[in-house]
Amino acid sequence: MSKSEKKIVLKSLDNEAFEVEKAVALQSQTIWVMCEDKCVGNEIPLENVTGQILAKVIDYCKKHAVVDGDGDESSEELKNWDTEFTKNMDQSTLFNMILAANYLNIKSLLNLTCQAVADKTKTIDEFHTFLNIENNFTPEEEAQICQENLWAFDD
Amino acid sequence: MKGRVNLDSFPTDLITEIFSRLPAKSVGRFRSLSKLWRVMLHRPYFTKLFLSRSSARPRLLFAVERESEWCFFSLPQHHNPYDKSSLVVAAEVHTKFSKDTKRYTCSYASGLIYFPDMSICNPITGQSLAKLRKYRKSISFLGFDPIGKQFKVLASDRHRVMTLGTGEMSWRKIQCPFPYEFFIHESWGKGICINGVLYYLVCTYVDATRVNRIVCFDVRSEKFNFIDGKGFWETNLINYKGKLGGIDWKHDVDSNTLELCVWVLEDVEKQEWSKKVYTLPENEVVRNFSVLGMTNTGEIILSEMYTSKTFYVFYFNPESNTLRSVEIQGFGENRGRVYAFVDHVEDLNFLKIES
Repeated sequence: MSKSEKKIVLKSLDNEAFEVEKAVALQSQTIWVMCEDKCVGNEIPLENVTGQILAKVIDYCKKHAVVDGDGDESSEELKNWDTEFTKNMDQSTLFNMILAANYLNIKSLLNLTCQAVADKTKTIDEFHTFLNIENNFTPEEEAQICQENLWAFDD
Repeated sequence: MKGRVNLDSFPTDLITEIFSRLPAKSVGRFRSLSKLWRVMLHRPYFTKLFLSRSSARPRLLFAVERESEWCFFSLPQHHNPYDKSSLVVAAEVHTKFSKDTKRYTCSYASGLIYFPDMSICNPITGQSLAKLRKYRKSISFLGFDPIGKQFKVLASDRHRVMTLGTGEMSWRKIQCPFPYEFFIHESWGKGICINGVLYYLVCTYVDATRVNRIVCFDVRSEKFNFIDGKGFWETNLINYKGKLGGIDWKHDVDSNTLELCVWVLEDVEKQEWSKKVYTLPENEVVRNFSVLGMTNTGEIILSEMYTSKTFYVFYFNPESNTLRSVEIQGFGENRGRVYAFVDHVEDLNFLKIES
């Protein structure tokens, strides 16, 4: 296999190009299927992911491509790396990472980012704000739900 | 912003994925998010997904006994040892139950707390069940059959069993092949339920010699089996990666070291036990503690027995011979006796236990 065949170019929504090892990119089931079908050349346009997010996804895939299959010790190290990876991301970045992991179909990254949001988001208001979910209850209905789930509201 | 992905249309199935990873208490609160989410978070699809996620990240459950009440708290069982900030952890506050002389201790099975007066409570939702009065002087145990997904109470010395939650609940007599009358030491009255088998210690006298036995009660088939109780006396029975285990300890005051002796029932049929002894690394805070059990990664968890200004849980890793202490906050400053349970899995369906 020539050098160029081992590499692949990922192009983000905002036209940023990333050249990565094929083994790194193929952790995405979506890219894997595209390559299998030979429906794309060496350059893959990813219309749902910004360059800023794609750069982070590639960081994740690089780390996991290198370490996978190296035994138990590294899996512990990998876990710590994952923790550090999401630790300082803000909510908006995390939500965008979830969308990207879902679109690119990278299960372990989806799991990691969903758990990170679940761990970081404590209040209902945060979800109302971030996801623009409207509270469509009347005050009476809301009081009734609190009553039904008193165990969850009682601190 | 150029190229920004719009979060307003965040797919519902991805929000479901996030919510399935929340603690049960947050799920209860998030039911008031909107009309859609009130329905979604009650659906069997969600409660099943929640159970599978929550099984993958078990919690520690704490029951704190004070003068007139029991208070329940929980927190994640796993803490990343390299993440320094997690060495102090705030416990999630759950429910309170009244205490009386008959509720002097408690035990645990699959999400539910069992008191010696034969009352059962769900520490997360506060629902309780106290109808089983008839044999309440008996030393009894709560067991869970994971195949039939049923809870049963065993009144051990009366050989009676009751299945919980199915229509009319009544006591049934069962056969017990043990030929002698046996006794249960008060501090043994906890028992442990591992994969549908309830284990507890008894002793009896055969020709004036004291004999220890471990009773194995299969919750599903309701059959008894008895195995040699070794020299177990004040031994904590634990779940050793699915096998029955027992932990004894010895505190050597002179050298200020703590020795843990870990027994594992390797072969039930042949009654073969393995035994390993570990000396804990020196640590200034391990004093008045109890053994909670073992994590699926093989760490032994100890906890202090009484709350005070600071409260610690200890993780001992036998392989690397390392001891980590995690400070738990939120129990309050009043002194209380702490009972704690490992591998607590939150199940939203257990909230439905009929009361």
